[in-house]
Amino acid sequence: MALKTATGRQVLAGLLTGLVAGLLLTALVVDAGHRRLNGVAAQQRAVIATAAAAEALAAGGEDAQDLVERLVERIPDLEELRVVDVGSRSLSASTHATDREAGVPPRRLTRDEKSLYDQARELQAARRTNEQEAEARKNEVLAEVLPDGRLQLVVPVMEGDRVTGAVQAWCGGAPADRIGGPGFAPWLVAAVCIVVFLVVMRLVPSPRARVLVSLVILAAGLWFHADLAVDGLADHRVRLEEGLRDHAFALQEICAASLPGVGADPSAWDLDRYRQPRGRFDAAGELDLEVVRAGAAPTLRRFGQSAAVLSVIALVLQWWVAGGWATASWRALVKNRSAYGFVLPAMVGMVLLVFYPFTYGLAISFTGKTLYNVNEPLVDLFVGFENYVQILKDIDVFTTAEDGSRIINFQSFYWTLGFTILWTVSNVSIGVSLGLLLALILNTKGLALRPLYRIILILPWAVPNYITALIWKGMFHKQFGVINQIVQIFGGEPIAWFDAWGTSFAAVLMTNAWLSFPFMMVISLGALQSIPGDLYEAARVDGAGKFQQFRFITLPSLKPALVPAVILSVVWTFNMFNIIYLVSQGEPAGATEILITEAYKIAFEQYRYGYAAAYSVVIFMILLAYGIWQNRTTKATEGI
Amino acid sequence: MNKRITWLALAVFATVVAPCLALAQTQIVVWHAYRGKEKVAFEQVVADFNAGGHDFTVKTLGVPYDAYADKITAAVPRGKGPDVFIYAQDRLGGWVEAGGTIEPIDFYIDEEMTGAFIPATMEAMTYQGNVYGLPVNFKVLTMIYNKALVTTPPATSSELVATAKGLTDAGAGKFGLAYNFGDFYYHSALMNAFGGNVFAGSNQPLVNKPENIASVELMMEWFDVHGILPAEPSSTLITTLFNKGDAAMVFSGPWFLSEIADGVDYGLAVLPTIDEAGGAPMAPWMTVEGAYIAAPSEHKDEAFAFVQHLTGVEAGRVMALGGRQTPANMAVYEDAEVAADPVLAAFREQVEVACPMPNYAEMTMVWSPVTTAMNAVVRKASSPQAAFDAAQEDVEERVKSLRK
Repeated sequence: MALKTATGRQVLAGLLTGLVAGLLLTALVVDAGHRRLNGVAAQQRAVIATAAAAEALAAGGEDAQDLVERLVERIPDLEELRVVDVGSRSLSASTHATDREAGVPPRRLTRDEKSLYDQARELQAARRTNEQEAEARKNEVLAEVLPDGRLQLVVPVMEGDRVTGAVQAWCGGAPADRIGGPGFAPWLVAAVCIVVFLVVMRLVPSPRARVLVSLVILAAGLWFHADLAVDGLADHRVRLEEGLRDHAFALQEICAASLPGVGADPSAWDLDRYRQPRGRFDAAGELDLEVVRAGAAPTLRRFGQSAAVLSVIALVLQWWVAGGWATASWRALVKNRSAYGFVLPAMVGMVLLVFYPFTYGLAISFTGKTLYNVNEPLVDLFVGFENYVQILKDIDVFTTAEDGSRIINFQSFYWTLGFTILWTVSNVSIGVSLGLLLALILNTKGLALRPLYRIILILPWAVPNYITALIWKGMFHKQFGVINQIVQIFGGEPIAWFDAWGTSFAAVLMTNAWLSFPFMMVISLGALQSIPGDLYEAARVDGAGKFQQFRFITLPSLKPALVPAVILSVVWTFNMFNIIYLVSQGEPAGATEILITEAYKIAFEQYRYGYAAAYSVVIFMILLAYGIWQNRTTKATEGI
Repeated sequence: MNKRITWLALAVFATVVAPCLALAQTQIVVWHAYRGKEKVAFEQVVADFNAGGHDFTVKTLGVPYDAYADKITAAVPRGKGPDVFIYAQDRLGGWVEAGGTIEPIDFYIDEEMTGAFIPATMEAMTYQGNVYGLPVNFKVLTMIYNKALVTTPPATSSELVATAKGLTDAGAGKFGLAYNFGDFYYHSALMNAFGGNVFAGSNQPLVNKPENIASVELMMEWFDVHGILPAEPSSTLITTLFNKGDAAMVFSGPWFLSEIADGVDYGLAVLPTIDEAGGAPMAPWMTVEGAYIAAPSEHKDEAFAFVQHLTGVEAGRVMALGGRQTPANMAVYEDAEVAADPVLAAFREQVEVACPMPNYAEMTMVWSPVTTAMNAVVRKASSPQAAFDAAQEDVEERVKSLRK
């Protein structure tokens, strides 16, 4: 509707908004990418220098203290060196002037130097862990940026396979000249887009077509810009690797001049954080472009993904402005400014207490956050839609046993989803029918002791549900539970409630039915009492029977109250954590697990926070879809 | 006028300057989750320390147990936590892996210091070769029996079965033995007797070892063949049975003692040896409360001085006699009053054969699959071998997805 009336100015404004948003955001990401690459390269320079020093120290042959002093003097990047021995808890050598105040090395470490000792122990533990696990996980090269911008590197001193100490090096900060960046590309892309758009405006008169064409122009422009940026980043990467190679070979020359036997293979100094050679160049100084490219691939892919997301944001913005919705929103905001002023405090509260945690959860769901990397920034852990794909592709509901029979895989997402739906539907049906029945009974005219019955029937709702859950759990005990004792009175065999899926489901269903009928009863009772008596009187005059009165008067009159109650009840039951977690505990073998208990277990038993967040987002999506569908079909929240 | 100014000056001094002077003294904060008697004893230890003429004071903060671990995980790495906190070793690995939570203390300690503790408790404080805390108290399962029903506690598994069978009348709801056999924590005592474990030497989980299977088979023999154990044993059920005299013997820890009703004359004995495992003793997993220094603390030396006091003999004596806890410091048990206490002596004897519960972060990933396996075995839905093979597969997958 609004598209048809879009003016040329609106469409141009839309394009400009899209361009500014899209190009600015992408340029910021490109800039951050270059900075990051520079930072990584600076650190790698320091690693090469430290590794060279460590090699010289390992070769030994002379007094360690003399050697460190010579190394710091000769190797340009190295500013300070310290060597620690773990076994004797001593400082073997140091170039720090302050260290000598406590005595000339080699000497025992003082309490102030504990962190030095701890770093060496940390490297020992890292070596142990990496040996035990199939893949290296712990850093064997520790890098840290000191407050003054210098880099601190710690590498182990090895004796055979054992870490016996550590070398700590302080290296100069990142190179001052900033190389690389977004450059002129954004300006160029913006100019071309605007020119093309102005030409097209003359050719296309229809507003709707103009908006569509402008969208295509922006999309093409942003794509082209992102493509240029990816190439730029890739080239920058190669240049940095070349710089590192040159640095390593320069060091080799220095070593050859003053340290015999050190630096036979400079590529061995180019270590990754697990102390394995990165293989970016070989002993002959040849850059292996394949490896460089493979190393850059994840970063570039991640950049591509961010660029795609940012482009979509830009296009949505453009659509919003070009279609005139932006103007409309602004007008509404200005017109009702006092009203918005009043709701502002509440909105701030909502943003802080609801939207922020929600967005944070959403953000975590796109990362591989686990216990092991909980303190790393989210951006570094970005995995895209991997978690969602992993959840949704878990379609093996049936697995084939060795004897060929098919068994249900209770851990499958779709089994859990199916069970959750079954659980919700049966609970809500039971809750509504039982609640309605009791409400009808309570609504009987002239019923004696009605207030007493009402209080008794509301009681299950008043008791905290985990207490109810634990009581029911006890009642389902095989030998001592009251339910089995009743079964035995009637001559039945005691049932092991949680041994089979069916009985386990029946047990949790009973518990939850007990908890859910009072709510429905209260809602129905309230609605029943508001039905005017003359409706029934008129029906009786027309000759309607009891059932017809119920079918055509009572039920339709209850609908406005019952439908929202059912929606609420569905959402509650879908996420009814306490009953499942406390009564069936998912037994047998996770067959009665619902989605929310599964998400809890993934987060707090398996420590996979990212995956659990994705699980919760899936639950949210399901409930959102249900809510929208229910609203559409019943118009429950309209016109009551 | 002058008088007024003097008063004013005094008032200012009292409200502003004096508290500042008091604050000038360093204060370290200790978090704990002790309650009741244990809390009183702990406060006593802290009060003794503060009266000891140190140039800093210790302040305690009790944190409700349910929220405790999460609070440490969230607050400590961000520098909002205490200087020292006390927690069982089961979370140690996770906190070390997450980083920024626990300070390694190898630098402060030497062999003379660590030699004072029961060796297994020190082992519980060690993760990947580094020591992260000193052990305060330990908790371990032992045998608690009703003296009215059992005169001499059984020393071997054969005696156990024989005694228990004589006291069992399942139809009447009377059982010779009751313990939470489906819970892997309780089962660990049997598993360790067979030489089993859930890790293959390092942090690689291995739950389907032949020794583990053998131990589960023996458990099933007790439950299913001999029928000396009540089905679906929850802790409430076990307490009720024991208090009614319907369960003669119970395998449980110190927490059970406070649940025993007045009038039940009970005794403690070391868990029996297992004939089926070549006479090896049942070796329960123990939990060790460690005192850890928070990594972001600015008063680590002071914190360590307090930790040393807390794990020392004097503090141990107060906690043993007042808090009814079992300190990890061996010298505490040489105290005449402590040595004369049958309960403390029993736990001290039991801990000699106990194994520390693994402190690897991966341990959390073991619980749920082995619990599923134990439940499958108990309800005879699957053989021990098949159940634990499935559990192993499950654990491996969980660990893999965590480490990737």
